Amino acid sequence: MDPNFFISIGHVLTMIGIVILPVFLLPLLVLVLPRPFEKPGKIVSGAIDRVTDIAAAVSIGTAICLLGFQLAVVIAAYAFGLSWTWLSELVIYSFAATFMIGACVALRDNAHVRVDILRPRFGEDGRNWIELAGIYLLLFPICIRILQTGEQGLARSWLLFEGSRESDGLPFLYLFKTLVPLFAVLMLSQGLSEALKAALRLTGRMPPTDTTVGSEETSYGA
Amino acid sequence: MELEIILAVLMFVTAIGALLSGYPVALTLGGVALLYALIGIGLGVFPEPMLLSLPSRIQGGSIMQNETLIAVPLFIIMGVILERSRVAEDLLHIASRLLGKVRGGLGYAVVLVGALLAASTGIVGATVITMTLIALPTMLKQKYDPRLATGTIAASGTLGQIIPPSIVLILLADAVSNAASQAASQMGSGASFVVSVGDLFAGALIPGVMLVGLYLAYIAFTAIFRPSACPPVEEDDDTAPLTTMEIVFGLGAPLFLIIAVLGAILTGIAPPTQAASIGAAGAILLAGLRLSDERHKTLRLSIFAGLASIFVIILLRNSLDLRMGVEHITTVNLIGMIITLIAALAFLGGIVSGMLVLHANDQLMPALKSAVEITSMVFLILIGASLFSLVFRGFGGDDLVHELLSATPGGKWGALIIAMLVMFVLGFFLDFIEIVFVVVPLVTPTLIIAGFDPVWLGILMALNLQTSFLTPPFGFALFYLRGSAPPEVRTLDIWQGALPYIGLQILMIALVASIPALATWLPALTR
Repeated sequence: MDPNFFISIGHVLTMIGIVILPVFLLPLLVLVLPRPFEKPGKIVSGAIDRVTDIAAAVSIGTAICLLGFQLAVVIAAYAFGLSWTWLSELVIYSFAATFMIGACVALRDNAHVRVDILRPRFGEDGRNWIELAGIYLLLFPICIRILQTGEQGLARSWLLFEGSRESDGLPFLYLFKTLVPLFAVLMLSQGLSEALKAALRLTGRMPPTDTTVGSEETSYGA
Repeated sequence: MELEIILAVLMFVTAIGALLSGYPVALTLGGVALLYALIGIGLGVFPEPMLLSLPSRIQGGSIMQNETLIAVPLFIIMGVILERSRVAEDLLHIASRLLGKVRGGLGYAVVLVGALLAASTGIVGATVITMTLIALPTMLKQKYDPRLATGTIAASGTLGQIIPPSIVLILLADAVSNAASQAASQMGSGASFVVSVGDLFAGALIPGVMLVGLYLAYIAFTAIFRPSACPPVEEDDDTAPLTTMEIVFGLGAPLFLIIAVLGAILTGIAPPTQAASIGAAGAILLAGLRLSDERHKTLRLSIFAGLASIFVIILLRNSLDLRMGVEHITTVNLIGMIITLIAALAFLGGIVSGMLVLHANDQLMPALKSAVEITSMVFLILIGASLFSLVFRGFGGDDLVHELLSATPGGKWGALIIAMLVMFVLGFFLDFIEIVFVVVPLVTPTLIIAGFDPVWLGILMALNLQTSFLTPPFGFALFYLRGSAPPEVRTLDIWQGALPYIGLQILMIALVASIPALATWLPALTR
């Protein structure tokens, strides 16, 4: 395979990223001009949430695979005295995929642990502002940093179609490594959706969330 | 003071301030660290290449390829399935029916079930909420002193952390074993410590069981000296007595599952990851049986076949030579292999049937979704915390911690007490998982170099944090209990109820601190 092929794919992806960049201003536009931007905001947020639904299905699938592969490892080793590197690698791959893909689902359903001591006292508006600030100052920089610093290593891995170091391992190490940027992209997009929701709630275009309930309704915009 | 040390301290302070805002802990830790790393690079005091290693750290052996932590999602699946299928609820109901007629019986039931539910999610909040919702209303209706009832529930809810197979002990084992190898490399010259999940499980067993004993003794003590605080349950005439079948299935089956999983790990038959997958499979089989009714006759048969096949496999494996790798396979062994293969397929079929029954009851997807979310939550904290530790180390923060601990008056015991106090205070607003990922790697190497046993340290830390979660006004367990208890229970009652249990916890910490063998004898035996 021509190495330049992957480098050009990388360039295309970067271009797509730059073209998409203005969308990340949408939550701020919603804050400033709620009337014209309410609708696009809800559409974008709803679309992202549906992508995250797919991520949820995939990570549930990989969790089931994790259990299945691990049981296969146990039976093969215990009863028949057999072990294969590829099978152990399948276990590792499904294990890592479960949380790298599942993280954005937990973000949408508010399942990530928070320190709850002062939170109830901030009020609905305060919590929404904290959400917005957290997304722009903490979540986005982490994800962008992960994307940036991982670019070269990943390009090298794809160039080689890097496989396992073991001879009976899986030839898919490059896909495994791709989970890292995939995680970053999924978290970026779900972060954008959460920022839009916070902005819409701040401008009264969306009902406030009940903080005692972990998951929130995501059926709007459909 | 040097600039990078000031930045390291400022970063820690900023992180704590930012955490109080209530933004998710994992992202706050990572984000604040990244911010300070960029400031440090700007000021020329942070080595930029360190930050470049972030993606390779995420995909490396400490997170995405961490073979120890594969047990975590599997135990989480086991926990949520037991919870969703009401196996856990049955356990509490049957235990209270059996023990309820005795004075203090409901209290005993809560403590014992709390100890058994240790295998459940292992996250304080979830266990306390489940126990509060199921047990507290019954206890209050039977005129239990609210202080005794809430204290018992909060304390029993935290038992899940110390009694194996607990998830936080797995995470702690990972952190302590990294710290131990770090300490060994700093000490040089053949020093080596090996700390496995099995070691920590074995080490936690005796203190955990003793703690349960202390709790039970306290309730018995109350029942004798303050009988009005825990009256026996008044039996309604219309409730049918428990059948033997209900007791055997509702109480015996989960008990058997937990003992089997724990036994396999402690005796070394299976490493924790393998035992965890068997535990998750067992939970699915039990849940399938529990929820199956007349509509699912075939599925129920298949689940029974799945259960039976486990015994077939164990029996054949131990009576014949089933290894496929050997050169000459006798006919008998070949037949054995074929039967075992069929049994293995029946086992997998039983699990699929169990999942189908769960699905028919609309429990499979919610359970797996919550398992995925809890897993993601744990590992996102691991990612955020490793970014935090990376940057803290880049500023030389670990050397600072090492110097501070070494300079503490009172030698190694002074250092230990300071480290424990810091963890205790952090336990007021951080969960076990965050402390394990952030603080344990910082303080443990120094303490191990000072000469403390790693397993013993781990157990002390676990007991210490468990106590922190019970301590008013910020204790985690009390916080979740308050959130799910009916409003007529006063907050002051909850706080007062926790006090005696804090006393028992401190007694237990003192015991383990003065008699290290309580934590180290069993691991040395199983090694």
